[in-house]
Amino acid sequence: MRYLLISIFCCLISCASYTKKNNFLEAESVNEVIHNPYFSDASKDYVYKAKIDVYNKSFGGIFIVKKIAKNSHRVVFTTEMGNKIFDFLFQDDDFKVNYILEEMDKKILLNILEKDFRVLIRENENVLSKSINDNLTLLETKIVNKKYFYAFKGEKLNSISRVSMGKERVVFLFSKISDASAKNIQILHKNIKLTINLKSI
Amino acid sequence: MRNILYILFLIVSTVHSQEKMTTAEATILKEKVKAQAALTETITSDFVQYKHLDFLANDIITKGDLNFKTPNMVKWSYVDPFVYSVIFKDENLYINDEGQKSDVNLSSSKLFRQLNKLIVNSLKGDMFDDKEFDITYFKTATNSDVHFVPVNKKISKYIKAFHIQFNNKGDVVEIKMIEPSDDYTRIVFSNRILNKTVSDAVFAH
Repeated sequence: MRYLLISIFCCLISCASYTKKNNFLEAESVNEVIHNPYFSDASKDYVYKAKIDVYNKSFGGIFIVKKIAKNSHRVVFTTEMGNKIFDFLFQDDDFKVNYILEEMDKKILLNILEKDFRVLIRENENVLSKSINDNLTLLETKIVNKKYFYAFKGEKLNSISRVSMGKERVVFLFSKISDASAKNIQILHKNIKLTINLKSI
Repeated sequence: MRNILYILFLIVSTVHSQEKMTTAEATILKEKVKAQAALTETITSDFVQYKHLDFLANDIITKGDLNFKTPNMVKWSYVDPFVYSVIFKDENLYINDEGQKSDVNLSSSKLFRQLNKLIVNSLKGDMFDDKEFDITYFKTATNSDVHFVPVNKKISKYIKAFHIQFNNKGDVVEIKMIEPSDDYTRIVFSNRILNKTVSDAVFAH
């Protein structure tokens, strides 16, 4: 019996909403739209030095994003010497692999990369809920059936968190922000050992 | 009318700026480069790398220097806009990524060994192997431009062609590696010095 009660208690705690757990108060959001400006300028070539740490292995490369049309982006990763590792096309909700190195052509990996990069490049999302804590505003949305919270400090998008069962699964951190671009981006996975660090060059 | 003629002249001269070599000219170039390569113990050079992707407004430009020591030690050091070096030595790749060191053993990968051999050979320019490449020789106003198309399907999956430019001394001044998608990496060498003493310590990890 005691075990059952503890279980129910644990369940209640873990099921508490992400916003409540982080001391955010709900606020009204009337027809608000989330805007992520970081890859939205079609005239810009977004080029980053990337460092990827995965299960104690580390490798680097050049990460390139280009908006090629409305709701359409190319996302390419090459080695420092220029060899292409992957080349993806995002168009609305579609995803196309133009190229991927044979050794990396694994469905599970492609799924992770697709989900991560889709979030980076999506520009406008409908707000499902809004909550506020001190000077942070948290806007909830759904992208391809996954729940995301966008944290804004004033006008600046500081972070995006993918949340399921009230827990953060992936966090995107944006820093050194100027001219609607983030010079540093970190993608941290909480349930697998995967971190992607991007530094604008 | 004069303008049209001028434009026509420009078009014609552009088309003609790269023409095929005669067999005799190709043989002379080949022998010059092979003789030079046989005498090459070391190469030091600066380089500028242009990564061309068709959808970008500008090529991605990275700069650094190169050290080569016979038979097959190569170090590419990038200094701008980031600090990164990669050493090819004894079937290993040694990487120093802004101080973070790692290595990759290539002995199990025949493909990587082949690619590595190609890199070394292309640095010296000596890739005139008719069994491995379909080779076409061109001349420009100042240089020779040789196109090497890999015959091996496994290699051509990664690299559609190498274009190597030689100056009139037979030195490699530019390497262009073209991917099957037609995106390419172009490396332009400058301050290239042959057979200067290069210590083994340069290739220490």
